[in-house]
Amino acid sequence: MPDDVGMTVAVQLFPTCIGDVVAQQTVTDTERVLDALGIDHQRPSGTTCCGQPAFNSGHDSPARSVAKATLKALDDGSDLPILVPSGSCASMVRLHWRELFHGTPEAEAATRIARRVRELSSFLAEHTDALRDLEPSLAVRVGYHDSCHMLRELRIKEAPREVLQTVAGLELVELDSSERCCGFGGTFSGRYPDVSVAMADTKIDDMVAAKVDVLVSSDPGCLMQLAGRMSRQGTPVRAVHVATLMAEALA
Amino acid sequence: MTDRASFLAAIRSAPRGLDPGLPDRRDAPDAPTQLRVGEDRAARLQAEAEAASTVVHRVTASDVAATVARVLVEANSQRIALTTDLAPFVDDVQATLAVAGLTGAIYAEVAPNRAHAGALDATVTGCIAAVAASGSIVTSAAGAGRAGALIAPTHICVVRDEQIVGGLHELFDGDVLAEAGSLFALQSGPSRSADIEKVLILGVHGPGNVHLIIVAPD
Amino acid sequence: MSATREDVGGTPLPPGWAKPAHQPDAFELTTTTFEERAAKTMARPFARGAIANATDHAAALTTARFVGTDHDALREEARKIRAHAIANLPDYLDHWIDQAERKGTVVHYASDESEARRIVAQICTDQQITRVVKSKSMASEEVSLNSALEAVGVDIYETDLGEFVVQAMGDRPGHVIAPILHRTKDEVHELFSAMAGHELPNEAEALTAFAREGLRHAFLTADAGISGGNFLIAETGDVLLVTNEGNGRLTTSLPPIHIALVGIEKVLPRRRDLAVLLPLLTGHGTGQQITTYVSVAAGPRRQGEPDGPEQMHVVLLDAGRSALLGGEFEEALHCIRCGACQNVCPVYRQVGGHAYGWVYGGPIGAVLTPLFRGQEEAGELAHATTLCGACDDVCPVKIPLHDLLLGLRRRSDADGHVPRHEQLAFALWAQVWSRPLLYRASTAVARGSLRTLARDGVVSAKTPLLRRWTAGRDLVVGRRAR
Repeated sequence: MPDDVGMTVAVQLFPTCIGDVVAQQTVTDTERVLDALGIDHQRPSGTTCCGQPAFNSGHDSPARSVAKATLKALDDGSDLPILVPSGSCASMVRLHWRELFHGTPEAEAATRIARRVRELSSFLAEHTDALRDLEPSLAVRVGYHDSCHMLRELRIKEAPREVLQTVAGLELVELDSSERCCGFGGTFSGRYPDVSVAMADTKIDDMVAAKVDVLVSSDPGCLMQLAGRMSRQGTPVRAVHVATLMAEALA
Repeated sequence: MTDRASFLAAIRSAPRGLDPGLPDRRDAPDAPTQLRVGEDRAARLQAEAEAASTVVHRVTASDVAATVARVLVEANSQRIALTTDLAPFVDDVQATLAVAGLTGAIYAEVAPNRAHAGALDATVTGCIAAVAASGSIVTSAAGAGRAGALIAPTHICVVRDEQIVGGLHELFDGDVLAEAGSLFALQSGPSRSADIEKVLILGVHGPGNVHLIIVAPD
Repeated sequence: MSATREDVGGTPLPPGWAKPAHQPDAFELTTTTFEERAAKTMARPFARGAIANATDHAAALTTARFVGTDHDALREEARKIRAHAIANLPDYLDHWIDQAERKGTVVHYASDESEARRIVAQICTDQQITRVVKSKSMASEEVSLNSALEAVGVDIYETDLGEFVVQAMGDRPGHVIAPILHRTKDEVHELFSAMAGHELPNEAEALTAFAREGLRHAFLTADAGISGGNFLIAETGDVLLVTNEGNGRLTTSLPPIHIALVGIEKVLPRRRDLAVLLPLLTGHGTGQQITTYVSVAAGPRRQGEPDGPEQMHVVLLDAGRSALLGGEFEEALHCIRCGACQNVCPVYRQVGGHAYGWVYGGPIGAVLTPLFRGQEEAGELAHATTLCGACDDVCPVKIPLHDLLLGLRRRSDADGHVPRHEQLAFALWAQVWSRPLLYRASTAVARGSLRTLARDGVVSAKTPLLRRWTAGRDLVVGRRAR
C-alpha cells in the first residue's frame, strides 16, 4: 500500500437518495471519517438520485431524466473524486450511466463522471496507513456483508475488509453467506416482500450463528433490509455502514 | 407437417448473431478431464475410477481370467454374459469360469431376447478405450453392445494399458471412435442416484458393482 | 412387438403400476402469480430446507471440481463454441441432418409444441406403440408430451427415479437436474408403498430397489424409448445423452424404437467440442468429474451389433428458439441446462422451481419462460430476481443472465406490459426527482413523515405506502437506541 496520505486533499461527496432520506447517518459518518483524515469534502448542490430504481426496473426514460439532474450537479468541471457511500449507486454511475446516456447529449459527461466516481470503502482502503495512524479502536466482533453490485459488478471485495482491519480490537469474522444476496433488490423488496424477508432471514441466521455483534456493509440498501428485518425480529445484532463503524472507532 | 426445407428456411431467415469463430482446439484450456503434465495414465485412471466407486484391479494378461472368475464368484453371479470386445480374453475367461462351475454366455446370443438380457447377473466386457482423467471406459455398440456394459447388476470391464488415453481431448481427436458403430458410450463407475433426499444409492438402473481390470503392458 | 412382450418372464408390473398416474401439464402461468406460487413452496419447511441444502451442496461441489484448473478460460472457450454454433445454427443443423440421415436416423421437424406432440403421437400410432419408457427430457416437459401420448393410448413410464416419483405423484420436476429436490423420503415411501400394495422399508435404498424392479420390467417390455438430448453433434449426426442412473442408455438400447426430442439449439459443431462442454455440463450440473453414463448415438442398430433399436427417430424442436436468433436475447440459446444458475440463485433457494410456473426455474427460467411463453403470460418472472449477478458468475457458458433479465424488464416497459400504477409511479417520480428543488422538498417531507411515524428511530407501523415493506420489516431511520 503506497503511502498516499495527502495525495487526495479534496473530494466531492454524492450522498445518494437513500442517504438523503433514510441513511443520513451514513453520510454524516462518512464526513466525520473524511474530517479525521484531513480530506476536504463537499456535497455538490442539486444531486438527487442515480436513477437506479427505475433503471433496474426496465424504465430507462424516467431513470435518465432523474440521473440527468444528478449528472449536471456532479459535472462541476473539476477532476475531484466523487465518493459514493453506496456500492450499488457507485456501480450504477460507474458502469451503467454510459449505457443509460448512450446517444444523448450527456454521453460525454456521463463517461467523465463515471471515471471520477469511487465507492467509499475502496477509497478509504487507499488510506489505511493514515487511518491506522489515527488509532481507531473498537472492541467488537464484526461480520461483513458483500453487497451484490459492489462485489459482482465493481468487483470490490477486499477493500472494506482492509479498512475494518485498521481498527484495534475489532475481530472480523468471515460469514459463510457473506456473498449471498440479502434479498433487498430495490423494487424486489416491495414486489415480493415474503421472499425478500426470507432471503434476509438466511443471512441473519448465519450472523447469529457466527455470534457477531455488528454486521457491516457498504451499501445502505442492504443495511436498510437487514437492519429492518433484525429490528422487527429483535435480533441482537447491529447493522451499520462501514463509515459509521469507522466514525465510531475514531471517536 | 413441417418439412426439412421449410423448417430450415425459418431458421435461416432469422438475423445472424455475432460469431466469435470456432476456437482452435490446440489453444484449449485444460479441463479437470485432462491429464496433468507428467502424470501416469494408468495411475490416474485408477484414481478417478476409484473416486467414482469402481473397484480397480491391476493385473498382467495371464491373470485376467482368474480375476474375472474371482469377482463373479464373490458376487455370486450365475447368469453371466461376455461381449466379443473382450477378445483376446474370451476363451481364457470361459475356460476359467467353467472350472468354477460357471458359464459365460456370449452377449450377442442372449441380447435378442430382452427378457434374458434383463435377467443377467453379470456382464464382462472389453472396451475401445479408457479415459484416464475422467475415469471412464469407452464402449461401442459394435463391441460391448449398447446395453452390454450396464444391463446387469455386476459389470467387469477389461482394459489393456495401451487402450488408455489421457483425457477427453485425446479421445475425441483419436480414431478409436471411428469404428464404434451406431453408439459409443463413456461409462464411469456404478449407476447412481441421489434423488431421494440426497442419499447416494448405487445400482439404480445400471450396475451397482463395477470392476475395472487394467492389464499391464507385456 | 407384442411377441417381444410375451417373451418376458419374471414378475409382471405390480398392480399399482398398471397405469402410471396422469401428470398435469406444466402450465400455471396464466392462473397464478409468482408470489402465490412461491408462497406454496415457502409454506413447506422441508422443501425450503431441502432446496437450500441441495443447492448449496451442488454449488460447493462445482466450485471444488474446478480448483487448480483455469476455469474461467474453459468457460470462455465454451462460450465461444456455443456462440459460434448458434450464430451458424442453420448450417450446422443442415449438416447434422445429413449425417444423421446417412446413418439411418429418421428426422422430424416440429416448429412448435403442438407439432412436436402430433409427430410423436403419430409415430406411436403408426408403429402400434402402447408402452413407452422415457428418459428425463426437459424438451418433452416444454411440449407436454406425456399428456399427448396418453391421449392416444400410450402408457408412459418416466424412468429417471426422480421423474418417476414426480409422474406418479402427479407433480412436476422442481429442478432441471434434481427433479424431487422438494420431496421427502417419507413422501416417496408413502407413494411407493401404496403402489406396491404393502409397506416398504422407509429407506432410500429399498425405495430405489422397488422402482428399479418395476421399471426394469417396463424397459424389457416397452415398445419405444423416448429421450431428450443434451447435444447434437453436427459433424457426425450424433445425439448425446447424459444420465447417472443408466436409464438414458437403457431407453435408447432396449426398446425396438428410439425417439429423441431435442431443441435445435443443442447443436455443437464437432465431437472434440465435447472435451470442453462435457466437463462443464457435468461439473456445473452435479459437481462430478463426468456423468456416469455419456451415450452418443447415431442411427439405429447396425449389422452385427448385438443389441439396439431397429428405428431411431429424432424430432427437432424449434418452439420459439429461432425467433431468438440474432436478437438481444440470443445468448439464452447458449444454455446447456446444467442447473448451476439455479444452485446459486438466492431467490430460487427460497422458492424452488415451481414458483417459476413453467418448465424451467431459477435465473434461466426467468429468462426462457418469458421468451418462450410470451411477455403477457410470463413477463413478471424477469422481476422475480434481485439482479444479484451470482448466476452470471457461475454459468459455464457465460450467459449474461443479469443483462438478459434487465433486457426483459426493459422490453416489458417498451411493450406496455407494465402495470398502470407502476408506470404512473415512475412517471411521477421522474417529474419530481429530476428537479433538485422538488427533490429537496420531497425528501424533506419524507424525512419528516418518517420522523413522525418513528418510535425510537424505527418505523414499524403499517402505513399504506410502506405496507409491503413493513409487513415483515421495520424501517430503521435513526441510529438505534441501545
